[in-house]
Amino acid sequence: MMRTLDKYAAIFPVLVVYAVLFLLGLNMSGMWQLMATLLFYCALGQAFNIFLGMTGYVDFGYVAFVGMGTYGMAVTITSLAGTGLGGLTIIAGYIMALAFSGLLSLAVGAVALRLRGAYFAIATIGVNEGLRFLIEGTNLWGGSGGIIFTRQLNDILGKDASSALATFWADVLVLIIAVLAAITTIVYMRSKIGYALTALREDEDAAKVMGINVTMFKILAFMTSACFAGLLGATAWALKTPYVFPPEVFEIHYTIEAIIIVMLGGAGTLLGPVAGGLIYGIGKYVLSIVLPGFQLLIFAPLIIIIIVAFPDGVVGGIRNKFGHTALGRFIL
Amino acid sequence: MMKHVAERCLAALLAGLCLLLFAPGTGLAQSSIVIGHPACLSGKYAKAGEQAVGGIKACVQWVNQEYGGISIDGEKHKLEYKVYDSESKKESVTSLIGRLITVDKVDVVFSAYSSGLTLRGAPITESHNMLYMDHGGANNKIFEQGFDYVVQTIGPATSYHKGTLDMIKQIAPEDKRVALAYEDSEFARMVMEGAENYAEELGFNVVFKRTYPSGVNDLTPLLNAMKAADPDFVLGGGHYEDGQLFCSQMADMDFNVKALSLIASATLPAFYEALGTNAEGVMGPSHWEMGVTFSEESAKEKGLPWIGPSQEEFISLFKENTDKNMKPDYHAAEAGAQVLAYALGVEKAGSTDSDKVRKALGDLEFMSFYGGWDVNENGMQVGHTMVNIQWQDSKRALVWPESAQTSKPVYPMPTFQEKDQGAVAVPE
Amino acid sequence: MFGEQLLSNLAQGIVLGCVYGVATMGLSLIFGVLKVVNVGHGAFIMVGCFVTLFFFNSLGMSPFVAIPAAFLLGLGIGYVFYYSAIRRLLKAPELSTLLATFYMGVILQEVVKLIYGSEYRGFRWKVGSLSLGFTSLPMAKLYAALGSIAVALILYAWFRKTRAGTAMRAVVEDDEGARVCGVNVGGVYAMSFALGIGLTVASGVMLAMFLPVGINPYMGAEYTLKAFVIAVLGGLASPYGAFFGGLIFGIIENGSYTFLAAIPGVEPFGMTRFLSFAMLLIILLIRPTGLLRAK
Repeated sequence: MMRTLDKYAAIFPVLVVYAVLFLLGLNMSGMWQLMATLLFYCALGQAFNIFLGMTGYVDFGYVAFVGMGTYGMAVTITSLAGTGLGGLTIIAGYIMALAFSGLLSLAVGAVALRLRGAYFAIATIGVNEGLRFLIEGTNLWGGSGGIIFTRQLNDILGKDASSALATFWADVLVLIIAVLAAITTIVYMRSKIGYALTALREDEDAAKVMGINVTMFKILAFMTSACFAGLLGATAWALKTPYVFPPEVFEIHYTIEAIIIVMLGGAGTLLGPVAGGLIYGIGKYVLSIVLPGFQLLIFAPLIIIIIVAFPDGVVGGIRNKFGHTALGRFIL
Repeated sequence: MMKHVAERCLAALLAGLCLLLFAPGTGLAQSSIVIGHPACLSGKYAKAGEQAVGGIKACVQWVNQEYGGISIDGEKHKLEYKVYDSESKKESVTSLIGRLITVDKVDVVFSAYSSGLTLRGAPITESHNMLYMDHGGANNKIFEQGFDYVVQTIGPATSYHKGTLDMIKQIAPEDKRVALAYEDSEFARMVMEGAENYAEELGFNVVFKRTYPSGVNDLTPLLNAMKAADPDFVLGGGHYEDGQLFCSQMADMDFNVKALSLIASATLPAFYEALGTNAEGVMGPSHWEMGVTFSEESAKEKGLPWIGPSQEEFISLFKENTDKNMKPDYHAAEAGAQVLAYALGVEKAGSTDSDKVRKALGDLEFMSFYGGWDVNENGMQVGHTMVNIQWQDSKRALVWPESAQTSKPVYPMPTFQEKDQGAVAVPE
Repeated sequence: MFGEQLLSNLAQGIVLGCVYGVATMGLSLIFGVLKVVNVGHGAFIMVGCFVTLFFFNSLGMSPFVAIPAAFLLGLGIGYVFYYSAIRRLLKAPELSTLLATFYMGVILQEVVKLIYGSEYRGFRWKVGSLSLGFTSLPMAKLYAALGSIAVALILYAWFRKTRAGTAMRAVVEDDEGARVCGVNVGGVYAMSFALGIGLTVASGVMLAMFLPVGINPYMGAEYTLKAFVIAVLGGLASPYGAFFGGLIFGIIENGSYTFLAAIPGVEPFGMTRFLSFAMLLIILLIRPTGLLRAK
């Protein structure tokens, strides 16, 4: 029992931070929407980190999975509106979102994961952009006109419920996704998958020689990460944002944000995405209020300084310093 | 050593940022009425965003100084403007609107820019029963979603090219062949849909209809195909850079049509600066342009109440409130007119309560330097008509509707070869 | 009619391809030597466009003069960024250089916005056009293509004939080996990064010649993505490969339109984009080291 606790001790700081965020948002006036944004960034980082952190592979087209999840939910809502399924539609939407992002990740994983380093990163960009232009070029799902479905959502859930969903419950769901992603991360890290992937990250060829089924574990981590992205898209970009326009859901900038969040916190750490998400989200928010129009000019050099000062990320840096102390077991 | 200093500085900075985060909103005086705006001052909509902020500041200043404030029950209230930068990003839009409503306690929220960002904010404002005024989201579908508090000042996208088609039907009824080529974006496609339907209604023959992807840097394949369809005139566009590209490559190919009308880009001074005489005779629909002739007299003729600065006053107020090199375009005017609409709405309602003001805005009809303003029961703008400009001798002339004309349209426009030799479009 | 359009699109595609090619060489050079992917690539191209604008509109000079000026400016920016950040990050995880270069791009965007505002600008260089019978090519675009080819050739000669170029090639092959042979590897890194940025900024001038309108601080993002794809087509680490990759990319982007337009129910122009990204994936699958990379 103690050993199990010890093994998973590192999850507690993460849960504490999420709980604090949740309570702050709930109790301080005007903070809920900010907390929702912070939670989104944390969840994005947490989900992205499952694959990037453990394997070291940079999936630059990661946003495609978020986008496919968004489409999964949006397509379900628009096609099931009027069938009287009510709340079941949302569940069906989640299943579709998982199916869309899961299938895409399976296809991409089976094919692109044979590539390494920059080649892999660029192949995933190709997937993301190709998918966007396929949707626009063939007028699939409304093409570039997108889907706007507030009305359908209102029909399904009723106006009050759908409004509560967009302004509150979707954010709670984002929180749940973030927590689930964090738990998945630590379970993976503490299991055979984690050890195999660590071996892979250090030296893929050596890991292969030692008889580790590299491909299977890679695809597993890749698909897990992609499915969380799909859930996140279905929640934060469909339920909270009842429209889909292809250029917005396939915007590569979100992948870059995910990388920033993971990097700022520390890739491959459990607490990293939380720390990164908070630094990134709060920094941007404060600057946009204090210096509207100039925040990027301040923010950009600031990030570069942080990267130079903490090449392993903030959590990575702290771990290097305190990892051997009694606190160490809580920092992962 | 350096690293330690850097670490400490960062820690101090982060701590400072956190303190700021929880600092209470600026205590605004009770008697003032506050407009909140998650503007797009950076990111992809920065250009329109800067314009909108300038226009709003100009009209807020006018309301406070010239108009003397907004009167509710005989008491005058000053307008205040609270602006943050949403970086043209949806995540920031919601968190900033959340702050504006609950911390800064604004009385009305103006939308960011674009249909997407407007839609992103709507659930938040709706759930707070907060009036949400839209000066930058033109998608008609916004007003089919059943929002109660969204009120539009910018006109709907489907109406952009209607005036142009009306004009050509009247001045050249024999020219039936129209080509449509728009950017593949939600906004431009909606314009195309409106143009196509209206063209068919008026009996035009749509001989070519294609889109091009956003961010395109060579339109020749599309223009080659369009040229083969031999249109009399061309309607198209989408954004800024593609519109400039459109005209410049038509010139490169010496592809001449009798009229070319481009949305968004063609109406801006930068269009002529970038293209020089190649821009001569090119037209564009616009919500507002410097030189429109809406005035107190024209309001009287139509029997509408008039409010706001005259056009000259607006332009000088705009310059006072922005960088001196900036000239107001329609993004500024529509955002400014929205301030005036809100001021009238509050006076009419006798309260800043969103429900009452929303109702008052529903009944409101007025005219300002921006033109008419009237919304239907869904909040969609129906009272504002667009104007069509044409570049004539390096100046923007208003050629349509006839009531706003400052010059007759030049049709057909000079060919690119003629323009290359210095020909300008001047009406006979 | 069909044939004429196809020929015309292909000719335009070749010209566009040359510009794409030169606009990717800097990216490949930096990756080849430092193994750093410059995610801010497009922003550096944007700076080159503004340099052209400044020379043409403010100084009244030919865009040709802007090429060396942009190159020198890029060289300077490159050295500053290298010594202030990149040098410290070479030993760090590769992701940190991704972020650093991305934010360098952001800094450039915001600085240019501060100076020039967010307006869309352009200029008009009246140099006539060349008639090919089936179509006419504007001379400005032709100059852009010729300038691109010239820059590529100069770079080639520089690599082959100068000591610095040889040292750089040695580092690409084997940096430890080069170090043993007495090559100042740190200096080569700095120079390669600066040279890569210089090339990229200079390629912005070519782009502005090709496309003299729509110049604004945020125009670069499109080119970053395209440059990635083109670089992979050419083998990622090879600047010349990148040039040919650009050529292929330009030809496919423009040339495929005529075929795609024959398919009912699709938007051919959007599909040309899909096709070029689909091709990227296919090439990565069958020849992961790039289409043109020699063994």
